[in-house]
Amino acid sequence: MTHEYKETLLYVENLSVAYDNNVIIKDINVIEKDVVRPNVECTGQVIAFLGRSGRGKSTFFKALTGLVHSNTGKVLIRDFENSEPNAAKPVKEGDIGLVDQKYTLFRHKTVTQALKFSLRKTKFSETEKDSKIKKYLKEWGLENCADKYPNELSGGQRQRTAIIEQLFSSDQFIVLDEPFSGLDVGNIQEVKKAFDLLGKSSEVNTVIFSTHDIELALELAQTIYIIGYPTIDGKLQSYGTIVAKYDLREMGLAWKDYCEDHLKLSKEIIHQMMIS
Amino acid sequence: MIKFLTPFEKISKTNKTLILTGWLVLLVIIWFVATSGEKHLFPSPSQVLTGFQELYREGLVVHIFNSLKLCFISIFLATIISLVLAYSWPIPLLKSVSEFVTKFRFLPFTGLSFYITMVIHEARMMQVWILVIFLTTFLTTSLIAVIKDIPQEEFDHAKMLKCTRLEVLWQVIILGRIDYVIDVIRQNLAITWMMLVTVESIVVASGGLGFLIKNSDKFMNTGRIIALQIIILLIGLGLDAGINYLRKAIFRYSKI
Repeated sequence: MTHEYKETLLYVENLSVAYDNNVIIKDINVIEKDVVRPNVECTGQVIAFLGRSGRGKSTFFKALTGLVHSNTGKVLIRDFENSEPNAAKPVKEGDIGLVDQKYTLFRHKTVTQALKFSLRKTKFSETEKDSKIKKYLKEWGLENCADKYPNELSGGQRQRTAIIEQLFSSDQFIVLDEPFSGLDVGNIQEVKKAFDLLGKSSEVNTVIFSTHDIELALELAQTIYIIGYPTIDGKLQSYGTIVAKYDLREMGLAWKDYCEDHLKLSKEIIHQMMIS
Repeated sequence: MIKFLTPFEKISKTNKTLILTGWLVLLVIIWFVATSGEKHLFPSPSQVLTGFQELYREGLVVHIFNSLKLCFISIFLATIISLVLAYSWPIPLLKSVSEFVTKFRFLPFTGLSFYITMVIHEARMMQVWILVIFLTTFLTTSLIAVIKDIPQEEFDHAKMLKCTRLEVLWQVIILGRIDYVIDVIRQNLAITWMMLVTVESIVVASGGLGFLIKNSDKFMNTGRIIALQIIILLIGLGLDAGINYLRKAIFRYSKI
């Protein structure tokens, strides 16, 4: 399927994080550009990060979202408030939304209250906020949950609320840390639907997620990064970095149903994960 | 029957009620039987009943009202002070102050009350401040424990929604845990109630249940003492249940 690259949305350069003297991740470089497909109204970016446990995926996500200060390197995102082409800004807390594995929400706010809170720093009027919330609740199948508290929601409903909340508050970027872990088949379908909605709602929406499910990553993502321990001079290091990148768009595997070629790539990914 | 003796066995609500009733009936029977003879250490049910009647004639209701008033004033003041201390715990400069206050819970009761009697001369005020000082140490400890138990994800979630640090404090700790404050008060109520009776018996000038116990104790009126213990227990349990009901009724999201 043909596509073309537009401006850079995410730029990560030489990112390293260490706690005390313990280096967790080092020299991480990521560049993601806006991808446009002819005859397709919206193509959001979906990027997957795979890697074995303890390789620093969660730390990378925390550094990416500004929750953890990096020791070296920088994270820049497209500054949508600046109309100049390729205008970028350093990422700070709240610019990139993060949905954790527990789908954390404010326990004392109903779904509507939580969504209204996440829109508090936007320029919308009260009426616009209300109609935006109603529109999303309808689209995301949460109409019946508008006045429910988090403890009254199902796992899937909680996750969808958390995603919308971050989408409202952040600048088109959303990071989901293992969104499929512990979900049943029905809930996985719901999250896949959420990814689809995110991609279709804005051209520049960028979804970054980690998972242990290689098949799902191949099905949903356009780019897959493997985070693992690198081997330098024949010696396996003890910090995480990007050891492989697969651009499914260039390989002709993005935006299509799972096929034999995906299976071959899956075996390659497993091999990369095992040696890192 | 074997089912009721098997560890971790699940039983129905009706069976639970039956077992509880059985134990209560057994307790009453033992009480009647053990106190039926000439000599007995524990007062008989009739002595306790007489104790109740005497207490009622001596203005039991007024004394209960006095004790409850003291209890509520002390809890109110101690809660305000404890909340200020607990909410300033996340601020690095004030953290040590809050933690220092919690250590005072190991101080003996009578030692500090000696100094309070030198500063405050009005009996009622003295009782209030002795209770406030001791309660503050316990309440602050419990409230800080509640804050420490908040998962890091909740703070990160608030930061991700572009909350300033003060907003994080307001949304996650103050608003997000307001139901826990009520639960902390409920849990510490037992300590308050126990301390209150002791304080009233030390500073006897203004009546209350502690004063009644002290008086009964003086004349070895065991019937009255047990009657008072039953009253104190029932009021304590009533307050506990009332606060718990209030928490659940006000905060629909509260499932502690």
